[in-house]
Amino acid sequence: MRLSPSLANRLTIGFAIAFAVLTGLAVIGVARFLQQRQDYENATARSYQREIDARERLANDQRPAAARAVIISQQRQRHELRDEISGETRDTALLVGAGLIAGLTGAALLFTGLIASMRRPLEDLVEASGRLAGGDLDARVKVGGLSETATLGSAFNEMAEELQRRAGERDQLDRMKDEFVLTASHELRSPLTSVQGFAELLLLEREKLSPQQAETVEVILENTRHLVRLLNDLLDLARSDAGRLTIRPKPTAAANLIEEATRTMRAQFDSRDQRLAVEIEPDLPWIEADRDRIRQVLVNLLTNAHEYCPQGAHIGVQARRAYAEVEIDVIDDGPGIPAEQLEHIFERFTRGDAGETQRVGGTGLGLAISKSLVELHGGTIGATSTPGSGSTFRVRLPSIAAPAAAPTQPSRTEAS
Amino acid sequence: MARILVADDSETILLLLRTRLEMEGHEVETAADGQETVEKVQAAGPPDILLLDAMMPRKSGIDAVRELRAAGVETPVLIVSAHTGEGDGNDDRDDLRIDGYLTKPIDFDQLFTKIAELTT
Repeated sequence: MRLSPSLANRLTIGFAIAFAVLTGLAVIGVARFLQQRQDYENATARSYQREIDARERLANDQRPAAARAVIISQQRQRHELRDEISGETRDTALLVGAGLIAGLTGAALLFTGLIASMRRPLEDLVEASGRLAGGDLDARVKVGGLSETATLGSAFNEMAEELQRRAGERDQLDRMKDEFVLTASHELRSPLTSVQGFAELLLLEREKLSPQQAETVEVILENTRHLVRLLNDLLDLARSDAGRLTIRPKPTAAANLIEEATRTMRAQFDSRDQRLAVEIEPDLPWIEADRDRIRQVLVNLLTNAHEYCPQGAHIGVQARRAYAEVEIDVIDDGPGIPAEQLEHIFERFTRGDAGETQRVGGTGLGLAISKSLVELHGGTIGATSTPGSGSTFRVRLPSIAAPAAAPTQPSRTEAS
Repeated sequence: MARILVADDSETILLLLRTRLEMEGHEVETAADGQETVEKVQAAGPPDILLLDAMMPRKSGIDAVRELRAAGVETPVLIVSAHTGEGDGNDDRDDLRIDGYLTKPIDFDQLFTKIAELTT
């Protein structure tokens, strides 16, 4: 930043005054010293002259008494002059010394003052920008001090104001969006209930329908269910964005929950000759979990494995204790996920290949929601994959001690 | 089987519920909102089960239950809610002694199981 005229002027004037005062003092001091020396030398010379004259008169014996008196008085006068000059020299030295000290002190004060008047506002700015960077949009500085710091301060405040205004607008838009999704999801649910319900009703009397009609109704039903899933997922995401995705965790036996989730999926795997192997380590710890939500996560991972893997694929669920966590792996030997897709797989609306997704019924939201849910439980979710030989999704949830009253599995020591 | 009073503000959903419940052999009475529910219970006496939509105009299902419970009606209540997995901010649910929640779209197997549990 270029210094403003005012600061530059103040610095120049400060320098000029300090320089002028110090130079002036030095000149005056030296001049006075020289003047005093000159006066002393002249006076001393005159005094010697008078004494010499007196001594001549004494030698010539002209009024010897008066001449002696002159000699004595001149000697005494020179003594006085010497005392006087040393006194004056000391005074001059003191004066110059005092002046120098005063000048330097003044200059020091001037610069300390300048530094101080910049330091406070700068410290404020540093502190406020730290707060702003940390997300505190209320951070402002007191505008003041030099015109530089005042300009800097008000520019900072304007910037913070603008940031806050935009954040406010964005929050409002977000709220409107969330509100819209919540309302839309609610309003769409009633007609969907009717469509699904009546389609189911028709299929209850399948024998009265022609095969083509039955198939048509099944298509209606399948698509309605897909819409409902999409709606549920959108609702979860909107809640998650609004910070309203809440979980009600209770101490839960992890093993029990995993078995429950895999049990609900068995029929689907069987329908495509896919093998589901569940390996749960004995004495798997308890977790603090919202049963419905963790089941939702596991079912989502299993559904993905089911849908993206070909007929006859092998899908494994393995659960084990890993330090203070329960680690649940969902492993498949399906087509795998290319690295560039794997990076984004937990982002919303990210799905496999376009070709694949035509066949697969997912909403592209399941993994994003699963991530939110697992994170709400204080856990982590991740994926690894080798294209061509399969994928592994790993959920880790913090373990807790089993409640004292809870029945525990008979303890076995083997590890898996 | 059971006498069930069903309330929903959507006529098609009432028709759907009536059809499915009657196919199961239940006797079905309908109401269009919470107010009508309360009136029908008061006029004809309590049914075996109340199946109420949580959100209806004029008077919600929850408010109807509150009013009926206050009047000493102890009929088992099932609430159908359009929301999934989240209450609607009523804190006195425990006092209302609601016997079960269902979400839309209605899982009829779940509904029939609940009804069977409540009528045995």
